[in-house]
Amino acid sequence: MAEKYLVEPDVGFIEEVAGLGGQDLKKCFQCATCSVACPIAPDNKPFPRKEMIAAGWGLKDKLVGNADIWLCHNCGDCTSLCPRGAKPGDVLSAVRAYAVADYATPRAIAKMVPQPSKLPILLGIPTVIFIIAAILTKVIFGDQGDVIWQSHFIHNYLVDIIMIPTFFGAAGVFALGLKRFLADIHANALAEGKTTKEKIDPAGMVKALITVVTTVLKHSKFNECGDNKDRSTAHMMVLYSFIGLFIVTNCFFIAEWILHIEGPYRQINPVKWLGNVSGVALVIGSLLLIKNRMSKEDQVTSYWDWQLLVLVFGLGVTGMGTQMARLAGLAGATYFIYFFHLVFIWCLFAYTPFSKLAHLVYRTTAMTYMEWAERK
Amino acid sequence: MSKKYGVYICTGCGIGESLDVKALCDIPEEEGLPVQTHPFLCSQEGADLIRNDVEVGTNMVGIAACSRRVNFDVFRFEGCVVDRANLREGVVWSHPRDQFPALTAEEKEDEENFDVVQMMAEDYIRMSMARLEKSEVPEPFKLETLSRKILVIGGGMTGMAAALDAAKVGYDVTIVEKEARIGGQALNWRKQLPMDVPYAELIDPTVNDLISAVEADDNITIKTETVVARLAGQPGEFTATFKKPGEKIEFDCPYPLPEEMKFDEDGKEYDVEKQNELYMEYNEGRLDILQLDPNGEPFGAVVLAAGWRPYEPEEGEFAHLGFGESPDIVTNAQFEEIAKVGKIKRPSDGKEAKSVVFIQSPGEGNDNDFSYTGAVTSMVALKQAKYVREDYADGKAFVIYQHMRTPGLQENFYKSLQQDPGIFLTKGDVTQVAKNGNRLIIDASDTLLGKEIQIKADMVVLATGMVPVTNDDPVVNMAYRQGPAFRDIGDCGNYVDSNFICFPYETQRTGIYAAGAVRRSMTVEDSVEDAAGAALKAIQCLESVNRGMAVHPRSGDMTFPDFFFQRCTQCKRCTVECPFGALDDDEKGTPLPNPTRCRRCGTCMGACPERIIGFADYNIDSIGSMVKAINVPSEDDYDDPPLRILGLVCENDALPALDMAGIKRLGYNANVRIIPVRCLGSVNVIWIKDALAQGLDGAFLLGCKHGDDYQCHFVKGSELADIRMKKIGDALTSLALEEERVAQFEVAIDEYHKVPQIINEFVEMVEDLGPNPFKGF
Repeated sequence: MAEKYLVEPDVGFIEEVAGLGGQDLKKCFQCATCSVACPIAPDNKPFPRKEMIAAGWGLKDKLVGNADIWLCHNCGDCTSLCPRGAKPGDVLSAVRAYAVADYATPRAIAKMVPQPSKLPILLGIPTVIFIIAAILTKVIFGDQGDVIWQSHFIHNYLVDIIMIPTFFGAAGVFALGLKRFLADIHANALAEGKTTKEKIDPAGMVKALITVVTTVLKHSKFNECGDNKDRSTAHMMVLYSFIGLFIVTNCFFIAEWILHIEGPYRQINPVKWLGNVSGVALVIGSLLLIKNRMSKEDQVTSYWDWQLLVLVFGLGVTGMGTQMARLAGLAGATYFIYFFHLVFIWCLFAYTPFSKLAHLVYRTTAMTYMEWAERK
Repeated sequence: MSKKYGVYICTGCGIGESLDVKALCDIPEEEGLPVQTHPFLCSQEGADLIRNDVEVGTNMVGIAACSRRVNFDVFRFEGCVVDRANLREGVVWSHPRDQFPALTAEEKEDEENFDVVQMMAEDYIRMSMARLEKSEVPEPFKLETLSRKILVIGGGMTGMAAALDAAKVGYDVTIVEKEARIGGQALNWRKQLPMDVPYAELIDPTVNDLISAVEADDNITIKTETVVARLAGQPGEFTATFKKPGEKIEFDCPYPLPEEMKFDEDGKEYDVEKQNELYMEYNEGRLDILQLDPNGEPFGAVVLAAGWRPYEPEEGEFAHLGFGESPDIVTNAQFEEIAKVGKIKRPSDGKEAKSVVFIQSPGEGNDNDFSYTGAVTSMVALKQAKYVREDYADGKAFVIYQHMRTPGLQENFYKSLQQDPGIFLTKGDVTQVAKNGNRLIIDASDTLLGKEIQIKADMVVLATGMVPVTNDDPVVNMAYRQGPAFRDIGDCGNYVDSNFICFPYETQRTGIYAAGAVRRSMTVEDSVEDAAGAALKAIQCLESVNRGMAVHPRSGDMTFPDFFFQRCTQCKRCTVECPFGALDDDEKGTPLPNPTRCRRCGTCMGACPERIIGFADYNIDSIGSMVKAINVPSEDDYDDPPLRILGLVCENDALPALDMAGIKRLGYNANVRIIPVRCLGSVNVIWIKDALAQGLDGAFLLGCKHGDDYQCHFVKGSELADIRMKKIGDALTSLALEEERVAQFEVAIDEYHKVPQIINEFVEMVEDLGPNPFKGF
């Protein structure tokens, strides 16, 4: 006989998940329409029915370390078909939000990020940092002439000195979280019979990662979701623009620090092309995502979702805005917009492990794990 | 009363096209009876044709038109016996000419040819005339004294609601309540299930409002600390003797002599006198049922709302659930007591019970709920789960069920509870409850959360049921020969009997209507609604017996069984077999009819071996004469004479099915002659014997289903007929006839498509046996 499972519901967990957009989770009456409707649920132990009962009973241990919650791409088929209006898609989304916070350190920030009331503090930090940076630029580098160039407002070296540790700090936070996450999902998969492989082998995982990255780049899993066709393009645009901008940033980093080529760069520069194309794609992609969200009336869009949507849109708009203001010769506007751009970038780096964007890491990891584990 | 006949033949609805109406008219005319035809008899003009005759004295009305089941209101004439020869559904529709062609002019030349459909119609006219000849215009039975007061037994929610409903429309009501105050079980509750839209929240108990309303009502008399010692008499003139609970008085209702005491040591049944003597001994100190209490109080009708008591598990019962092992394992009734007093505390140490598991089914290999539960315990578990949440913000309530029954809009209550983050619901089988330190640990299997789970809890609540108090005691204590309690027909669990399939509000005792938890486990909402039904039924009873009419199901029937006592042999069969206990008998065994208890089914008529029981328009002779009116052609008439088969068909379910077959143009053999009967229970075997003696080739009975899911309007009619028909075999053998010539079939009202096949197969079987050798004698 299987080990008896001691059920210890965590009422606080239920309430938190409810607060993160899963407010209808208790309506579930376990008909399993969701699992049947889901186009990507595996045949063995399909989701999200089992996640719904676990959520309804506050069984945190069955959810937070459960890779299945990350396999869901939130297409909303289950939510549309749920006869009780329990919105399984949104519940999983809320559970993911909870899991992100659970794997993030420090706890204090993890608790603040999902709360609208803490937004001023979170935005306040980069604001103060970059005000100081602006003052330092003035103090250290003095007046740098009339050319409108953001580096003259907040010096690029200062920006990089701030951003690079932030980036690596976030990577560190992820690393800590991932270590626990991987152990948890493996334990859970073993306990629930989703895999027969006892021990994680790194080589196998790397191989799986390559497969998964291809899947992600093609959005092929994403496209399996019935309701996702519209969202897929928009999501892909945002993903690719991030990749593009990541390349662009690195190129300019090399140009700045190694080749000592100072900006602003000319518009005929191919790197600039990539930057501009990515920037436009980011704005359009994020706008489409927002439109998509707003048109889906049966889907809950919580603060958790808005946070990321607005951030991505803000990044694109302020980035492109800075450039356009600069080209228009508006010094004040350029610096003003650039300031916000920097704040957004910092937020992107600093808060990613605590925000919805963390799905980039956790979903990829979960998919990699499941690929390796041969979950069917 | 002098009889004046009139025969009316409708030629509409295809009758005129299919049949030779002139030939039909000849039949009554030859007997000297006036005949009129009309192309549309059920029209105003057609009905007026009859009415005009009725006004000038016609009182025996033979209408040859459609089935008696339709247009009955059009063809109802005050002070007349109306017989309906069923030419439409029974002849022309069920025997359409494309299946049963008429004779061509050429065929008519040859006298050997005959038209089976025309013969059928002609027989039905003859049978109708025969019945009218043997019928009398009924004279209603009037009670000498009539009480219009309603007695309500039980002062709980149901009783109070019934009393208020009856009092509101002007009836005097007396409530008797055995406790010192009215209110019943509802007095013990903290909260009550929702009674109104949106059915989402618990409400404060409504019992006190009802108590005030009852106490303020001038039409309602309340007798507390009172029980019914005996209820004698019959609807309209019941005599109730009251007493204090526990008191012993001479008017306590006697019990019938148990079956085993009726026989001596050798297994021989004692004679009537000895049995009476034993009966008196057995009921020492109690007067016979026929002794009327001169100080008794008169009532016209009774509502039995005696209610329920919480189920009390026996010692060692539910041991696997730990009941009796820990004081923290309680029944839902005990939990309600705790909740009523204040915050929910563990009985063992008085500590807060913040985690409570509600168990809905005892498990142990089956998925039955506890006994006497129905939907109520599901609802109660949800209610009590809410108490836990009301009392403690961090409280948890678990409900482990096999069935979560939330009927009707109570589903909304379930939904609202489901939304509570601290309430956890799962289907599952609780296998064990054990002590775990000072807490409890519950093992459950096959749950929504997995195969085997455990839950720790402070308290466990068993969803035990509501035992109807009639399980312990008859309560109503009827001074009826068949016994003081409702007769257990073995189909009602241990609830008070109800003829539930057809008539949920009616018991087998006319004028006494059970309501509330004596009938099945009910919530307050259900009980109050049930009370309204019972109150209306009680009123219907009063307003029928005062006019000498049957109450139900033959509402408005003015006939009642008439006994020719000179020939009674005191065999008691009528007394015993009456499904409604309408007949008492004296010490010699002579039946004493109580006409207002009677439902006019005729079971007594079917039972009587002396054939001394009959109704004004339905008796041994009237049906017997109909059988005799069937023309039985013999070889003297035709070289190959058609068979004649008699069908005695229950008018409640089988006849409608047969009519429907006609409406659907489903043909059946035209050599069958149908006679509707009130109930197969009223069929006297003499009709069958006479039919066969007269040369009919076979006879079948078509009635409703019997057994567990019986559909008989009169409880046991088709079952009794089945027994009687089995006994007819010997008689047939003595006539050198095959037993197979008599058969009985069961149909449900909706099985119209099966009826023609049943009939045709029987006819074929009889054809194979060959013609009745008595034909032509």
